[in-house]
Amino acid sequence: MKPLISLLNTVFDVVLAPFGHRFAAFDLLVWPALAGVVALLVYKKVSNQKGIAAAKNGIQVHLLEIVLYRDDLLGVLVATAQAMKQNALYLGNNIGPMVVMMPPMTAVLVEIVAHYAYSPLPVESRPLLEVTMAEGASMKSTDVTLEVPPGLTIDAGPVATPEGMAVWRLKAEAPGDYVVTVKVGAESQQKALAFGGEPRKIPVERTNTWEAILYPGEDALPSDSAFETIRTRYPDRELTFFPDGESGILGWFFGFSLAAGFALKGPLGVEL
Amino acid sequence: MSRFEVVAVLATGALLALTVPSCKTKGGPDVPGLFVLGVDGMDPVITQRMMDEGKLPNLAKLAKAGGFQKLATVNPPQSPVAWSSFVTGMDPGGHGIFDFVHRDPKTYQPISSATPPSTDPAKAIEIGDTYFPVSGGAVTNNRGGIPFWDLLQKAGVDTEIYRIPGNYPVPDSDAKTLSGMGTSDMRGGYGVYTWFTDKEIPPKPNGEKPKGDIQVVTVDDYDLDGTPDSVHGTLKGPPDLFHIPPDATITDNDYLTAGVTFWLDKQRDTIYIQAGSDTALIRQGEWSDWMKVSYDGLPGGVVAYDGMVRFYAKELNPGFAVYASPVNFVPSNPAQPITTPDDWSADLADILGNFYTQGMPEETNALKDGLFDDDDYIKQVALVQEDARDMLALALARFQPGDMTFMYLSDIDLQCHMLWRHGDPKYADAPHHPAWEAGSAAKHKLDIERMYEHVDSLAGNVVDNLPAGSTFLLMSDHGFQPYTRDFHLNTWLRDNGYLVLKDDKQTGTIPTGDVDWSKTKAYNIGFNAIYLNEVGREGQGIVAPADADSVMTAISSRLLATTDPKDGHFVVRRVAKSKDIYSKQREAEAPDLIVGFDIGYGNSDQSTLGEIGTEELTDNTSRWSGNHLMDPDVVPGVIFSNQPLPVGGHYGLLDVTATVLKHFQVDPATGMTGKSIY
Repeated sequence: MKPLISLLNTVFDVVLAPFGHRFAAFDLLVWPALAGVVALLVYKKVSNQKGIAAAKNGIQVHLLEIVLYRDDLLGVLVATAQAMKQNALYLGNNIGPMVVMMPPMTAVLVEIVAHYAYSPLPVESRPLLEVTMAEGASMKSTDVTLEVPPGLTIDAGPVATPEGMAVWRLKAEAPGDYVVTVKVGAESQQKALAFGGEPRKIPVERTNTWEAILYPGEDALPSDSAFETIRTRYPDRELTFFPDGESGILGWFFGFSLAAGFALKGPLGVEL
Repeated sequence: MSRFEVVAVLATGALLALTVPSCKTKGGPDVPGLFVLGVDGMDPVITQRMMDEGKLPNLAKLAKAGGFQKLATVNPPQSPVAWSSFVTGMDPGGHGIFDFVHRDPKTYQPISSATPPSTDPAKAIEIGDTYFPVSGGAVTNNRGGIPFWDLLQKAGVDTEIYRIPGNYPVPDSDAKTLSGMGTSDMRGGYGVYTWFTDKEIPPKPNGEKPKGDIQVVTVDDYDLDGTPDSVHGTLKGPPDLFHIPPDATITDNDYLTAGVTFWLDKQRDTIYIQAGSDTALIRQGEWSDWMKVSYDGLPGGVVAYDGMVRFYAKELNPGFAVYASPVNFVPSNPAQPITTPDDWSADLADILGNFYTQGMPEETNALKDGLFDDDDYIKQVALVQEDARDMLALALARFQPGDMTFMYLSDIDLQCHMLWRHGDPKYADAPHHPAWEAGSAAKHKLDIERMYEHVDSLAGNVVDNLPAGSTFLLMSDHGFQPYTRDFHLNTWLRDNGYLVLKDDKQTGTIPTGDVDWSKTKAYNIGFNAIYLNEVGREGQGIVAPADADSVMTAISSRLLATTDPKDGHFVVRRVAKSKDIYSKQREAEAPDLIVGFDIGYGNSDQSTLGEIGTEELTDNTSRWSGNHLMDPDVVPGVIFSNQPLPVGGHYGLLDVTATVLKHFQVDPATGMTGKSIY
């Protein structure tokens, strides 16, 4: 997991935000459109185009049959069953392409989210650093300690919950990127925190689960870490002309890439 | 926003401005704008003294450059009545708000003056145990008349009204309005808090119940390590209307709930709070930020309501006491509209973040109920002031030449109510208030002055930053007086033979049916109101309309002659017959008599809600220790202007409305009776 995330980070940190992070519109227009076009071409390549066309025709034929012979109950039932069968064939023909396209689409999406969905923490805010222990970890959350760099202070906490969380409230003196160190037993892990300043890629969470791929702002935690997650909640970045936050970017990305795909399916000769 | 985006927005705006013809007819850059600060409860005597002492430099400068005068209030001088009068330019007989509390004449039950029960009963379809509303049941704003902002907006003046009292539920309007005092919390109450405690609350000496939800909790040892570390509780939200028959009375168990968990650290000086998907970490004595809680009206969130709450860690060691504010509407997604247009609250929240939406945001109930001490209370008042400061800065930034903006400030009113007991800011030689507390008086006796100073700094900021040529008015709806003695009006009516209880009882309440209406001529519901039990109007009336005037005269005479056995002071200064002082549009709904108490006296809360007690007069030992529900002549408000005020003028609230309209050459609506000051 860790090498894969590092590789993706290396690639996308170069290709994303070519004009800096202040100008989100370029990436939020280009990448979904590009993803839509590439997905269309991949779809064309890996899908059974003839099978899809046949299934779509079959659905249309049987729907027409239902309309024309609506007085014939048995005929309507048979046509309905056949339409559903064709529908299942259509969906089946789409599973393969979906499986192929999902990983790269997800990778692009999570990178865009990390770059544009969040704002740095306001300097005057008092964010929480929440550490969750891994299931089965030998140490308890009460044993976790936190070291902070100069310019960052522990404002309150820790509160260690019996459910395996340790929580601190932090305070920054000035804008900047800080790195705190979370320790338990012999293990020591770092967590970055972005306070104030220009928009940038935001380090939200480190985790040792598969979800690490959703948080490319930092490396994943080692799979054998005593910590399951180390996280801070960041405010959504206001994107003015685009929907804000994780769900906003998610919706925009899918909506715009689908629109681009549908717009170009004719010129590219793709059966959807 | 990037530089490119800013340029794009500005360019688009400029193009639109060039292509779209101006729709303004009265306002616009050619007419100077008008900015009005409405400061609830600002008193002319205190203001003058503090200006003389150099404590209000901005207001003193304003008074010198423009003018400062007393402003007559309305009768009764209650905030919802007074602000409704300012809003509509009508007296209470015109707009129909006569008191905080009205009564249902058929049942004698107290009802909200702002939101009386719907006349169109709710109907629902029952499926299983779920009731799906079909029609009726809508609660509307009881205020009549036309708000001045509707007249201005119709005339093309861009009008923004911030935190206006008595405007909830929000009537339709083309102007931008945000409702203030009277806006409910999510439960539909006016400041229903939740108190999580590991101790039972001792009952109050007067038997009054706490105004919040008291949850006695245990600090559990979740992981059985010998250290108690967790507390679980619930926050009540809106009534569970999908599971209550539409005609049923809502009980304490009929509210939707959201869970909340508190985790204590080992030293018990900090808690981690989990409410909904939000979390907070606060030390003892700290407030959390707003935390969002959601309530599912139907399973799966098909119908869901968002609320927000903030917590105060009152005591974590050795006991456990955490206060949760009333659950406020979330301005970005309110369960009920609190603005016009509906989405303006979301626009404000985009800029300001979350802000108090509850009508009276100061936690007065916690202080009255003895859960907060003055330090706790003042700490929370500072949060409300922070909201007000930010909102005023936004209002000021949005204000353009030709616009009209009004903003309401609660600083002075509520703090005069709650903190007067620490030291009378009006009468230097006044004896200690009955609720004077030796421990905190020294520390808090100047708090009211600090509120005046805060208003002074806000007013100075507005004056300094208004576009050149703009007019600025600062006005208050009434002034203030000490409130040392409780008069129990219903008890007095009983003692004087106007109110009779059933079965020879001496005490009881109107709502619980203890009054013998076949022998009762008059009763009190509301802070200043007496209603006759009139034939044909009340459910079981006995006073013939022909006899009404003589009964009212007799009651008035006796009230005016009533003295306080403690010192022989007259209790009542004026009793007005509503038919003599109100215009006619809605006078039929008015109380028959309006009781104007003298300085220091007020009708008790118990009597206001229909209770008949043992004594007519008692010391007011409540922390609610300053008041204005008296004879309007003893509680005038103030008006400041940056334009010279005509010398020797005697102005009232309705005249301010007329002045606002005249400023923009807008004709008043029918029923508006004020005269412009300029």
